[in-house]
Order: sequence, then C-alpha cells, then structure tokens
Amino acid sequence: MRRVLDFGLPAMAFGLLIIGGVVGLAIAPPERDMGDVYRIIYVHVPAALGALIAYTTTLVASLVYLFKSSWAADAIAESSAEVGVVLNGMLLITGSIWGRPTWGVWWTWDPRLTTAAIMFFAFVGYLALRRFVDAPEKRATWASVVAIIVYVDIPIVWFSVRWWNSLHQLQSSPNTIPDPMMKLALRLNAFALLFFFLWFTRQRYRIARTRQRVELMEPPALAPAMGGTP
Amino acid sequence: MTQGVIEGGWEYVWAAYAVTWTALVGYTLYLWRQRRLADDELRATGEDERS
Repeated sequence: MRRVLDFGLPAMAFGLLIIGGVVGLAIAPPERDMGDVYRIIYVHVPAALGALIAYTTTLVASLVYLFKSSWAADAIAESSAEVGVVLNGMLLITGSIWGRPTWGVWWTWDPRLTTAAIMFFAFVGYLALRRFVDAPEKRATWASVVAIIVYVDIPIVWFSVRWWNSLHQLQSSPNTIPDPMMKLALRLNAFALLFFFLWFTRQRYRIARTRQRVELMEPPALAPAMGGTP
Repeated sequence: MTQGVIEGGWEYVWAAYAVTWTALVGYTLYLWRQRRLADDELRATGEDERS
C-alpha cells in the first residue's frame, strides 16, 4: 500500500497535470467573451479548491489535536497548512495574471481578492508562529488555536462574491461551463491538484513526524542524569 | 479588444501555466530536500529512520 501511494500519487498528479495542460491549452475552445485568456481558469480554480481543501484539513487536524493531543494530528495540520500556502500563492499569482487582460489591472482591492490575500498571509503567519515557538506542546496548542481563528476567513472568501458587489465573477465549476472540453480541462486539472495536495501533504507529514521524533527525543547526554533510558 | 471580446492574450495564459508548473515542481524539489535533511537529523541521533 505504501509503495502504491509513493508512486501512484505523484504519477496520477503529474499525469493528470500534463493531460489537463494539453486539453486546456490545445483542445478546449476559446471562451466566447474572454477568448484564450479563459484558459487560465483551468489552473486558477483548481488552485483555489486545493487551497480550501488544504486549509480545511488544517482546521480538522487542529481540532483533533486540541481534543486528543495527538502529535500525528499536529503534523497533519502543519503539513496541510504549508501545502495550502503553496496552492494559495499559485491562486493569487494566476488570479493576478488573469486580472491584467480581463480587468486591466494586476491587482484591485476587490472583496474576493482581498479576502484571498488575507487568507494567504494569515496562514503564512500560522507557519511563522510554528517556527518561533520552541516548546513542542505549547507550539502545537497555540498553532491549533491560531488555525481555528484564521480559518474564519475561508467562508468569507467563499461567499465574498455573493455578499458584496464584487468585480470577481461567481465561483466557476463544471456546471457553470457550457462546453464539454472546457469541463474536461477543468476537471483534469482539479483532480491533478487534488492528487498533488494528497502527495505533498503525505510527504510533508513524514518530514514533520521525523522532526517530531528528533525533537521529542531526550538529549542523550542528559538522559541518565534525568533517570531516562540512555 | 473588439466589442468587449478579449483577443490574443496567450502570453498571460503561458505565464499562468508556467507559474503553476514551476510552483508544483519547485515544491516537489523542496520537499525532497527537506526529507533528506530530516532523515539526516534523525540519523545523527542514532535512531533508525524506519523504526
């Protein structure tokens, strides 16, 4: 099972990304109003979905840590938050590239863009907090509380285009796209980034668990003096 | 632009896909490097990384 995941997840991720790229760039037709620029949607929307899934995983793992004091849950929270920040960064940059030809600006303080940027910097702050606190228990507890607080922004990001008069269009999904090839391009890239999320989080989780083992180990020189096992 | 329809813009499309692919490949390499460093840290403590 471990080998299947080790090789299967990256193979699916890269395979779907390549096929999704070919369909999105060469096979799907241009959109009626936005023309070829619409092809950016096929990487922008999956990055948004991936980031939301990653941050939701962080929230759930943080709640589990607070109730069960599970180091595995803390490692999942740390891992998924970092992957979420990578996907969130992709979301903001591809969105900015999209904005230039469609809105005429690289950036505007639109509710959707602003809340998505807050989401990015809030989770960068979460990761910074994890680096600044040395005591493992204190770090895990504080990080869990911060994750729950900053997650409040995610529903605001989601509903911002409905609650406020936003320049950003409503959420794109296969149901809002008329052409079957456009739907396919979006789906392929969405599944590609889902597999990337799973693979990255799994790899990052292993790193976090290894570092926990090193950190929670008694220092060898102190172990006999403290009555621990040498 | 003609009558509200965006024409061209392939440079933006390529830029967006380049950012996406670079970020994914870059983070893959970053994780690979971090994994090696974490295993080295564990090995330095005398522990077996697989135990």
